[in-house]
Amino acid sequence: MRWLEVAVAVPREHLEEVGTLFAELGTGGVTIEDPALFSKYLDGPGDCVALDPRAVPAAPRVKGYFPAGEGVGARLAELKRRLDSFLGGAPYQLLVREVEEEDWAGAWKAYYRPLAVGKRLVVKPSWEKYRPLPGQVVVELDPGMAFGCGTHPTTRLSLAVLEGLLRGGETVVDVGTGSGILAIAAALLGARRVLAVDNDPVAVAVARENVERNRVQDVVEVREGDLLAGIAGPLDVVVANITAGAVVRLAPAAAGVLRPGGFFLASGIIREREEEVRRALEGLPLSLAGSRLLNSWVTLIARRE
Amino acid sequence: MAKRVTAVVKLQVPAGKATPAPPVGPALGQHGVNIMAFVKEFNERTASQAGLIIPVEVTIYEDRSFTFVCKTPPASVLLKKACGIETGSGEPNRKKVGKVPRSKVREIAELKMRDLNANSIEAAMRMIEGTARSMGIEIVEG
Repeated sequence: MRWLEVAVAVPREHLEEVGTLFAELGTGGVTIEDPALFSKYLDGPGDCVALDPRAVPAAPRVKGYFPAGEGVGARLAELKRRLDSFLGGAPYQLLVREVEEEDWAGAWKAYYRPLAVGKRLVVKPSWEKYRPLPGQVVVELDPGMAFGCGTHPTTRLSLAVLEGLLRGGETVVDVGTGSGILAIAAALLGARRVLAVDNDPVAVAVARENVERNRVQDVVEVREGDLLAGIAGPLDVVVANITAGAVVRLAPAAAGVLRPGGFFLASGIIREREEEVRRALEGLPLSLAGSRLLNSWVTLIARRE
Repeated sequence: MAKRVTAVVKLQVPAGKATPAPPVGPALGQHGVNIMAFVKEFNERTASQAGLIIPVEVTIYEDRSFTFVCKTPPASVLLKKACGIETGSGEPNRKKVGKVPRSKVREIAELKMRDLNANSIEAAMRMIEGTARSMGIEIVEG
């Protein structure tokens, strides 16, 4: 099957209404390209920004798709007639091109492959076959709503540092667990008890599914909660792959629950805010034992004195 | 986890009826988004609004995960529903296809207020009335 992609450039205030003209002609919806949607991400500070300006569309456009073939000419003529009427004769640009049918529901999977992290860990999506090498530890994780597939630099850094620290038998808390990936990896690397906490109920549900998928439910407990509230020590490791701000807020409590010699892994820190986190650690009984950098993301390793 | 945004995609799809076919497939597939995860979640969240077209803003992060926010339906969709008509007029100046009382216009303006670039409810109502006129819908008192 082939599709006719029809793109109409109109002033921003008409985007949604022009979209409904397409819908009336049976396109099953439209894509709206609007440069204004990007502005809040282009210049925001800190934790969740930095969009490539090249990704921003040049002008507001509405794109709809008609199945190519019989009758498509008539629908296109009807669309033009309605556009003329709606826009009161104001000029607009209309581009038409043919696109091939693709396996849209499955094509995205091509972006995910088993990924080796550190020396022994491999993160793989469930549909990929992977035969582990001797000594390798495989974490199975499917990407989806709100979570990726463990390939983000901050996750890779945290995994690699955990792998280097854990010898077996530790007690670990993973604060802001998200998909549960770090908690699961800790369990597979030999931790005795792992508590995974997140304040987002969606994350808690997803993390529980992933814990069971990796068959570590006897070791990992997933709990809804705010940072370390209600958690008592002494613990061997606290890992937090969240944001610079959350790590700063969490650090005093982390120092409180760690046993002397225990480790606080602070991750999810964008390089611009590394100094701020280092300063926050200075006043606490935590001494910096190392740091790692990957693609402008930093993980700090602090040791409880 | 701190993440960087790589794309923002806006779609307008029928509530509860998104599919991997265009426009959803090509719009999200090129960014490596799990399309079935989006389709399922969108359809669940919008099931109660069946029959309406819902604008949705999808934010995509560098690890190809995503979040989305549903907006209020376009004014023309709400106006058509209020008048019980399928399409607007092809010749809005000469051929009227429906009537809508001003109280209904206010109701629609109140619903859409959070997504409109309007400073007051009166300004929002004027925007809705403008849309109504362009569709051949008359505003009547009441």
